[in-house]
Amino acid sequence: MSADVELQNISINFGDFYAAKDVSVMIKKGEFFSFLGPSGCGKTTILRTISGFLEPSQGQVLIGGENMAGIGPNKRPTSLIFQNLALFPLMSVADNISFSLEVRGHSKADRRARAEELLGLVALEGQGDKKVHELSGGQRQRVAIARALAIEPEVLLLDEPLSALDLKLRQKMRSELRAIQKRVGITFIYITHDQGEALTMSDRIAVMNEGRIEQVDSCQAVYEQPKTPFVASFVGENNPFYGEVTACNNSRVEVLCDGNKFVADISGRYHQESKKLTIGQKIILFVRPESISIKNSKTKTQNSFSARLDSIEFEGHLQNLFLTTGPGMKVRLNVPNAEEISHLTAGQTMDLTFSAQKAVVLPEGNLAVD
Amino acid sequence: MKSQHALKLLLSIYIFVFFAYLFGPLIIMSITAFNSAEFPAVTPWECFSWRWFTEGKVTYDGQRLAGLLADTKLHDGILTSLRIALGVVALSVPIGMAAAIVLTQVNSKLRTLFYSMAIMPVLFPGVVIGISTVVLWDRIASMTGGGAMADIGRNGVFLTILAQTCFISTYCFLIFVARLQRFDKTQEEAALDLGASQTQVFFKILMPYLMPAIASSAVIAFLYSFENYNTTVFSILSDQTLTTVIASKVRLGISPAISALALVIIAITLTAAISYEVLKRREEKRLAKIKQMQLHQAMPSERLMKNQKTGSRLPKSMFLILLICFGVIAGGNYLASNNLYGEKCIMAADEAKKSNFADQLKLLQQNVGNEGATTPQSGPTTGSQGFNNIFGDPNLFKNFGGFDSKTE
Amino acid sequence: MQNFFAKNGPIISTYFLIAIGFWIIFLIVIPQLYMLDLSFRPNLPPLLRGGEEDVYTLTHYKHFLFGSETSKDAYNFVDLNVFFKTLATAVVITVLSLCFCYPIAFYIAKVAEHKTARLLIVSLIVPFWINELLRAFALRILFAGEGVINNALINAGLMDNAINFIGQDVALFTGLTYAYLLLMMFPLYNALESLDTNQLEAAKDLGSSTLRTHWRVVIPHAKAGIASGSTMVFMLTAGALATPVVLSSPNTFWFTQLIYQWFNMNDNWSRGAAYSVLLLLVSVVFVLLMMKLFRVKVGEIVK
Repeated sequence: MSADVELQNISINFGDFYAAKDVSVMIKKGEFFSFLGPSGCGKTTILRTISGFLEPSQGQVLIGGENMAGIGPNKRPTSLIFQNLALFPLMSVADNISFSLEVRGHSKADRRARAEELLGLVALEGQGDKKVHELSGGQRQRVAIARALAIEPEVLLLDEPLSALDLKLRQKMRSELRAIQKRVGITFIYITHDQGEALTMSDRIAVMNEGRIEQVDSCQAVYEQPKTPFVASFVGENNPFYGEVTACNNSRVEVLCDGNKFVADISGRYHQESKKLTIGQKIILFVRPESISIKNSKTKTQNSFSARLDSIEFEGHLQNLFLTTGPGMKVRLNVPNAEEISHLTAGQTMDLTFSAQKAVVLPEGNLAVD
Repeated sequence: MKSQHALKLLLSIYIFVFFAYLFGPLIIMSITAFNSAEFPAVTPWECFSWRWFTEGKVTYDGQRLAGLLADTKLHDGILTSLRIALGVVALSVPIGMAAAIVLTQVNSKLRTLFYSMAIMPVLFPGVVIGISTVVLWDRIASMTGGGAMADIGRNGVFLTILAQTCFISTYCFLIFVARLQRFDKTQEEAALDLGASQTQVFFKILMPYLMPAIASSAVIAFLYSFENYNTTVFSILSDQTLTTVIASKVRLGISPAISALALVIIAITLTAAISYEVLKRREEKRLAKIKQMQLHQAMPSERLMKNQKTGSRLPKSMFLILLICFGVIAGGNYLASNNLYGEKCIMAADEAKKSNFADQLKLLQQNVGNEGATTPQSGPTTGSQGFNNIFGDPNLFKNFGGFDSKTE
Repeated sequence: MQNFFAKNGPIISTYFLIAIGFWIIFLIVIPQLYMLDLSFRPNLPPLLRGGEEDVYTLTHYKHFLFGSETSKDAYNFVDLNVFFKTLATAVVITVLSLCFCYPIAFYIAKVAEHKTARLLIVSLIVPFWINELLRAFALRILFAGEGVINNALINAGLMDNAINFIGQDVALFTGLTYAYLLLMMFPLYNALESLDTNQLEAAKDLGSSTLRTHWRVVIPHAKAGIASGSTMVFMLTAGALATPVVLSSPNTFWFTQLIYQWFNMNDNWSRGAAYSVLLLLVSVVFVLLMMKLFRVKVGEIVK
């Protein structure tokens, strides 16, 4: 059984401080949904509200269409996987997994059978009698998942459960989590500050900032067509160019940024925000580092500008070039490692360009702070 | 550098002296428990004897000095102490636990107040706690007139349990607070999330976690209760506990039977301490082994496996035990060969005393006859007075008589 | 409150409330308050209590200061003497304990190897668990007129007549120091144990002498431990009864013995209560003084 989760105008305040403000989102049945945002953005608060540890100051949580107000965490059809996993150190692995059955008064044999079944699901067959501290980090992770799944919840909530693992294991667990979700077919709501995690696993992402949802979209849309400067700068790397609109219609926007004239193509279906722009409005134009390329010919094309190379950073599969434009804007671009750039030296001025399809123009607003 | 060495030497000497000060009196007291003489002393050594542990002794002048096994008052006292201690454990462990758990739940302002309140009883003098309990319950008893409440209010055991619980709960509380500081609260949330009720969370998560604290606070509460005197002496009223029995015995005159009792307690304490230490070391070794195994699993490298020392290596403590055994055998041999142990020796000593006593008695009678005076203070007439001159102070045992003589 | 019940569930909440309420109200607050009340009332036989004569009076406190009405002295020199002697002795013993314990605590915490340290700690704990009365008794065997020390000294030919250790209060003071030494040791040890050994090495590296390192680095760090140990030792010494019962000479009273006398021998409970209030007051003042002096919280004193 899987259920959809609907948050209706949720606000949570502690005195004057709003941990969440007017959050509304509809999470579909069987979806892998992520809340992505910097620490302190209120995503954990949202998760605790869904699981029932917090009552919203305003608004309501509906799970499977049912209002959850006044229903404690032990009565909700959700399971939470904690950031530190919160496995019970005094119990064996099997007892941990079957704890939810134990508190519901299931027989010992029942519990044992269910534990074995779930251990199979997470590839830990025969480890049921071990103590928690005898397991490795990744194994513990799987025990936590199995424990949360034992009562067959309709919604599984995950609070940055991978953050304690090292990089290799984290990447492995990502695909495992995704596979488990596909297998059990229930709604997963995942909380993370790591955009890589959110982008690789989720069906949809809600990007949060300062207690509000900035954008809810598919991974692709969030990355390619951010709706706010915050999303544009928080998800992935981005180069902001500040300027103002000089001309616009339904398919193109022309902007002037520090003397450079740029054009952005907004004919795509995602560009609802850009279509509302008016002439003279202050904007930020975003171009991803991988979308900027070095112009070799001297021919005049649209969206070209020049900048001085400050330094080159080698990152394995690609190389990062750090540049400064004439008016002092910092620009960063990625070049695949396969491309030959050894002729470039720091201090030289280069001509750069980007495609109008790859530029995003948004009304001016706050960027994510690094 | 030279001064450093001197400092170290000085420190070692100091440590030795310190521990000698700590243990010396206890060791000497333990030795006196085996001297058959009726006054606890090392010299003059009469005979080696177990009599103070068993039936005691009837002195040459007919006074009965009970040994441990024969002392019914002591037995009653121990039983009363046991009952009180069990009562105190039953009350103070749950109280301390409840207070410590609630402390983690209240906000910080209330927490300071609550914490200060909870630790206050330790800062109260024990006598004050005893007195305040007695006066309050006496009042309650007299207010209710007669009946069950009055009986309870004047029941020494009940009052002592209450009075001791007052401050022993604080010790329990502190143990629980220390343990709870390391408790991961998300475990409770995880259990709730998995469907447990609050009551189930308490019994299935919190209680198992607190089990070591429950055990150690029970032990601590028991020991504190068992050895308490300052509070008990007031609240026990007409009953007697182990400590009040000991105190009244010491007041009346010091007997080697008390040394014997002390030795028994020391033996029990030592055994407990040693077994605790052994268990702890074993547990540590076990944990270390698990850790190493994990490391080995994570990085299967032969180098990481420490070379387990093989072969029979005797622990150092074995030598100590052997040394003690040797000492005991040699000492026993010495005692036996010098006729300082056994019936014969004791009979001889008693005989010597009896004749000595008879001589003195004769002398005394002569004196009485000569002077017609009352019994002189210096002469040992009865057993208990006989102890007086041991201290060179005939008033010593008027300790509490001294109180009586002080009037308004 | 609602939150409290929601968090703990009805059964556990009830248990918590009953346990804590019983303790704080019935065992801590009410008895002390009633004792305070009683100390301001005349000593009456049970039948007259609550009657006309049962009015608030300062007579017991007056007695403590000025003595009985029939007495010729301006002040109650006997009781005041006992009171201040007790306090002064307790202070001296506290300071002595601190001096005795500091080197040992430092050695165990910072110098000794792990195994040695643990052995020493266990050896410290063992005597601590032997009843205070019995430890006092052990000293009595040593200090008695025909006790081990006197016998040894006389046998060795160092002196002819026994020294009256008990009459001179030597036995009492030794016994009190002996009794509570370890309550200084453990807080001190805990405080020193938490000191980062690197700090000692840094001080040494910077050319500080051993003495200066202790004065400037170690002692400031151990301040909470010193405050805690001093408070415990002082309180227990001033409030001691077991050790004085065994070791004091008939001419010396400890203040608690005075209370005992009023309470049990003279059956004057309200005066006993008044004297207890005085002792309690001294304790409270001392704790506050230590808190102020060492700038520590009460939570740091009792650990």
